[in-house]
Amino acid sequence: MTTTRGHTPVVAFRGAVKEYGAVRAVDGLDLEFAAGERVALLGRNGAGKSTSIALMLGLEEPTAGSVELFGGPPRERVESGRVGAMLQDFKPVSRLTVRELIGFVASAYPAPLPVAEVLDLAGISHLAKRRVEKLSGGQTQRVCFAVALAGDPDLLVLDEPTAALDVQARQEFWKSMRALTDRGKTVLFSTHYLEEADRNADRIVVIDHGRLIADGGSAEIKRAVGTGRVSFDAVDGALPEGVDTLPGVVGAETADGRVRLRTTDPDATTVALVGLLLPRNLEVTQAGLEEAFLTLTSEPAASGTPAVAEKGAAR
Amino acid sequence: MSAGTATVLRYVGVELRRTFRDVGFVIFGIGTPVLMYSIFTSVGDQGGTAGGWAVLAMVGMASYGALGAALTAGSAVAEDKANGWLRQLRVTPLTPAQVVAGRTLTGSLMVLPAVVVVLLTARLLNGVDMAAWQWLALTGLLWVGSLPFTMLGIANGYLLSQQTANVTNVTCNLAFAVIGGLWFPVSEFPSGLAAVAEWTPGYLFARLGHDTVDGHAPGLVTVAVLAAWLLVFGAYAAHGYRRAGRRA
Repeated sequence: MTTTRGHTPVVAFRGAVKEYGAVRAVDGLDLEFAAGERVALLGRNGAGKSTSIALMLGLEEPTAGSVELFGGPPRERVESGRVGAMLQDFKPVSRLTVRELIGFVASAYPAPLPVAEVLDLAGISHLAKRRVEKLSGGQTQRVCFAVALAGDPDLLVLDEPTAALDVQARQEFWKSMRALTDRGKTVLFSTHYLEEADRNADRIVVIDHGRLIADGGSAEIKRAVGTGRVSFDAVDGALPEGVDTLPGVVGAETADGRVRLRTTDPDATTVALVGLLLPRNLEVTQAGLEEAFLTLTSEPAASGTPAVAEKGAAR
Repeated sequence: MSAGTATVLRYVGVELRRTFRDVGFVIFGIGTPVLMYSIFTSVGDQGGTAGGWAVLAMVGMASYGALGAALTAGSAVAEDKANGWLRQLRVTPLTPAQVVAGRTLTGSLMVLPAVVVVLLTARLLNGVDMAAWQWLALTGLLWVGSLPFTMLGIANGYLLSQQTANVTNVTCNLAFAVIGGLWFPVSEFPSGLAAVAEWTPGYLFARLGHDTVDGHAPGLVTVAVLAAWLLVFGAYAAHGYRRAGRRA
């Protein structure tokens, strides 16, 4: 887990719980983000990402535990202008031009960026005079991004910034985003695309059922999940003895006449496998990250600890 | 001027711009009372009450326009709740108090053009003549006196969905206008109804205007009961804000 190098963390969840009636949207979250980090909050729909973000922005109060922003109450920090946020489901405010909207938001902050620069960073300079409600989905998303940037905040929080975008718009979005993170801002974004998290964050925090289930760099997470696949024909439909304890193997199963091993190190697993038995129709692949993520979040979350897929267990 | 006040004023500026770009508001909110005034005074111009009716209807329609504009401001709150603008504002340095203050001020300022346009029409079209202080007092009183309706509209905006808020505010507008004698004077009502009508906020509000054009200050009872309505609707607005504003 990333430590905070002795500084006040930008964001600190301490045993944070948020309940809506009987539903625990956030279930005992302990997390700290340090200045300058680019963090991806990764999880399926309904995993608790938006609620976590609402807690850290002071839009919601935790039912138990605490959430701090720059060492203080989130509301106070938001009101002192240290945070810019792009919320989910923000439909553009009607009957204002892009420039008017960004100019107003910027003016609410103590030390905003010049509006022209914000528009440029978000790639919407050419839309400055257009009415916000007349823009396309991708353009609107960029306007929302500009709203988050306008005050030149220390922390940028983006809730599912690319959810409504097509592939090309998504790529363009991340391009603008990188230009910004190069300026040393702390950025936290949520997504349910592992690919995006992998490319655009240096730390990935995976949550599921409101709990932390993995935390680290993308390489660590991929390793922990085991994105390699080694498969071969199952001789009698049963799982051969000993394959689930081969080096690197984190999961093994037999289905449709094939034995499938999930591994963190396909090479080592293959070498050891050949020493163990004679595999027929051997196939070694590196599974997609999306698949790895699905695997990760379909595992039952071990109680609150940042565990990853447990070893062995054929299912 | 403090930075906080400047922020509120900029917020009001943004909201006013949005309001007056809303063609529907400009046509129906400002145009309708003027149109109704023109029609009422041209068809209702009976003999002995000629000058009186033009003045009576002027106060009635200016009040009706003010009431409608004040309530419309509340429907705008419901719109902003639905499109996430209120929530977005909560993640900027604007405090909830600044947003509410800005909203109320905006709603209050939306009333002015509705009032002024009817008074101008009365002056130019029907030659209504009063002392300068009366024009000023009438404008000022109808402006300030509309605050209870702004509160009511904002409360509905916070508590209800966009469509329901809209319908509710339009209904309130018509109900208060008709029962308050803004369209047809309460003196034409059956006596039982008139007795009730005289305690309704719409009637008391227009009364501020009628007293002014009659050349005297509004009565203490009128002001006190209207203030009581302000307290009631103000409390309702505070309740609405607490209930929905935190989550909006």
